Amino acid sequence: MRPLFSVLVICFSLAASAATVPDHFETIAKQAETARTQERVPDAIRLYREGTKLRPSWEDGWWYLGSLLYDQDRFPEATAAFQHLFVNTSHRGPAYAFLGLCNFETGKYNDALAQFRAWAGAGWAGTRELRDVAEYHFALLLTRDGRFVESLYLIAPLAQRLGENPELVEAMGLASLRMSYLPENYPPEQRERIWLAGKAALYAAQSPKDFERADEYAARLESRYGTQPEIHYFRGTLYGFEGNRTEAEREYREELKISPDHVPALVALAGSDLEKDDRAEASALAQRAVAVDSNDAEAHHLLGRIFLADADLHAAAAELEKAKQLAPGNPLIRSHLAMVYSKLGRTQEAKAESDAFLALKNKEEVMESPREKLDEINRESAH
Amino acid sequence: MIRQALLTVSLAAFAFPSLIVAAQTPSSPARQSFDQLLQAAEKARDENRNDEAIRLFRRAITEQPDSEQALWFLGTLLYEKQQYADARDVLRQFVTLRPDAGPAWALLGISEFQLRAYPRALDHFERAMAAGMGDRNELIQSVYFDVVVLLTRFERYDESIDMLQRMLANGAPDPALTEPAGLAGLRLPLLPSEVPPDRVELVHLAGRAVLDVQTQHYENAESELKQLVTNYANEPGVHYLYGAYLVQLHPNESVAEFERELEISPSHVLARVRLAEQLIAKRDFDHALALAQQAIKLDPKRASPHMLAGEAFVAKGNAGDGVKELETARDIDPTVARAHWDLLRAYIAAGRKEDAEREKQAIEKLGNRDSQSPSGNAGDNPHDQAAP
Repeated sequence: MRPLFSVLVICFSLAASAATVPDHFETIAKQAETARTQERVPDAIRLYREGTKLRPSWEDGWWYLGSLLYDQDRFPEATAAFQHLFVNTSHRGPAYAFLGLCNFETGKYNDALAQFRAWAGAGWAGTRELRDVAEYHFALLLTRDGRFVESLYLIAPLAQRLGENPELVEAMGLASLRMSYLPENYPPEQRERIWLAGKAALYAAQSPKDFERADEYAARLESRYGTQPEIHYFRGTLYGFEGNRTEAEREYREELKISPDHVPALVALAGSDLEKDDRAEASALAQRAVAVDSNDAEAHHLLGRIFLADADLHAAAAELEKAKQLAPGNPLIRSHLAMVYSKLGRTQEAKAESDAFLALKNKEEVMESPREKLDEINRESAH
Repeated sequence: MIRQALLTVSLAAFAFPSLIVAAQTPSSPARQSFDQLLQAAEKARDENRNDEAIRLFRRAITEQPDSEQALWFLGTLLYEKQQYADARDVLRQFVTLRPDAGPAWALLGISEFQLRAYPRALDHFERAMAAGMGDRNELIQSVYFDVVVLLTRFERYDESIDMLQRMLANGAPDPALTEPAGLAGLRLPLLPSEVPPDRVELVHLAGRAVLDVQTQHYENAESELKQLVTNYANEPGVHYLYGAYLVQLHPNESVAEFERELEISPSHVLARVRLAEQLIAKRDFDHALALAQQAIKLDPKRASPHMLAGEAFVAKGNAGDGVKELETARDIDPTVARAHWDLLRAYIAAGRKEDAEREKQAIEKLGNRDSQSPSGNAGDNPHDQAAP
């Protein structure tokens, strides 16, 4: 059994170049194609190398050369081949994905993340198989980058479509426990908790949701590692998905006993308090979250909403403006800002925010795919 | 440790019968230069001037990127020096040229294992085993060991136990197998190096029990398993392990263990399967069917719950649904003889002569295959080779 995500077997069919060319090149190109279709890989690689040397503008040649080398796990050489494809628009999209994968495999993680963002920007081009592999690695890099929610957004549809898969379990476990690691470099003694969290997250992500099994693994996780950071926050999030607000809140509070500066737990709890109209505690928690991480958009958003509920409109505007600056693609922030501006009589600004909200909201409703949501995230990152 | 033993072996001594030296263009100046480099590199290697040998082999490869000889010697030298990332890259080039070279896939897999690229490592070990690794027992045992631990890490526990059996069939159990056996038996997807300190004792105890069962030291096994369920009464996997042992010797006592396992691990598919099997033996078809159906819901792609549901349906007089389930079981895993026997009986009862004949042939075929391949799945263990 070949691993699902680590190995991508490539079978492409692209039309051969139709340009008029010297005989020798034509002969080599034909031989290369024959070798490739007959799966004589070393010959095909040698011939495509020769062909691209004779004609450096031979895009299909670079494409096949890169693909063949990638398929042989020869990533540094594949990178060199794919880099020739950026001048050509028809190959650029998938080439970004392949370059991302090659950079990932050669340990150039920041470059890989940039390539995957470029790939997403170019429309997530490629076969289903390429997209699966690239999205999985993109998600791993988002986790490494500390963008756990985005990572989970990207993996969840894969988990739904592909079901149980150990590599997905591991990826989801890392993101769920908010561990900025890759599967190949996390501390080995953390493996059990990552696996347990990953199993719980994977079952919760299934369609239909399998909360029963998710809870079984989450309970095992909690009973084994309940005194460690992130476990209760994860459990709380899971309860939140299940609509069990009381248990979720209890878990967030447990997390704060272990990790008093846990911003996502502070924000989640403050949100819960605000819904119950316990504004005093909500405010205290949100203020604490902002103090711990002044760049957390959700913390500013919540604080703005609390000020709005308290009718402290100027303070609300300041917080929501900060939140908007940090996360311009979040429609709810724009909606709350529109309300505040409206109450302040800043009609034009209110309308602009309201329009932005509608545009973002419509987009959110139409584009249900998490990948579309990730586009917004990409744009936010670019700002 | 098995791998440490391997590292002392001079890997360059592996001979690939047709390692290509002569296939290059004869007597051109480039060829002469390459030959000189290669000779110098080999001399340096033979005189244990390994750093120099590596440098020279690299230069040779720059001149002849497809030189199998240079790639192989360079790959093995880098591997021996534990420069696994470099060894991996060179060996990848080599296996492009020589996909039939089992030992090269093995060294590539070991290098990837060391770099924690586990999915690739397992894939390449499987290629090594498919291609064959000659008669180098150290290498074979090292690969088998890594395959056992990786199969467990990828939650392929039954295959892991199968591989363990193959290793044990080759000689006395290596103490290094205790942890892998324990992890596979407990169905914990960890490598031995990933076992948290507070689990080491549990894993060791389970491992000793599994090894004792596999080597038929039943008295020891029973004592260890009893100790396990006493010391770790609430630990997932423990009661299933004991129950699976009891099935062979004291089937009646196994029921309580499977039931306890299901209290601790409600989604445990194999505990349900084993329990359903026991209930069928006791002719409690209603409960058996309920359990089998739950197991199907949890793991629809597993053959055994379908087979047991089929048996229960047929026993309850519902031949239609029974045959459907049995056919599903057979289609998922055609190597399970018991499903074919069930279907043969069901088809005969229904007067479906042609279908019955087909099943009969399938059973005969399985019998022949099994007699030719004693290490293969016998096919009449209906329950996915549950450990131990």
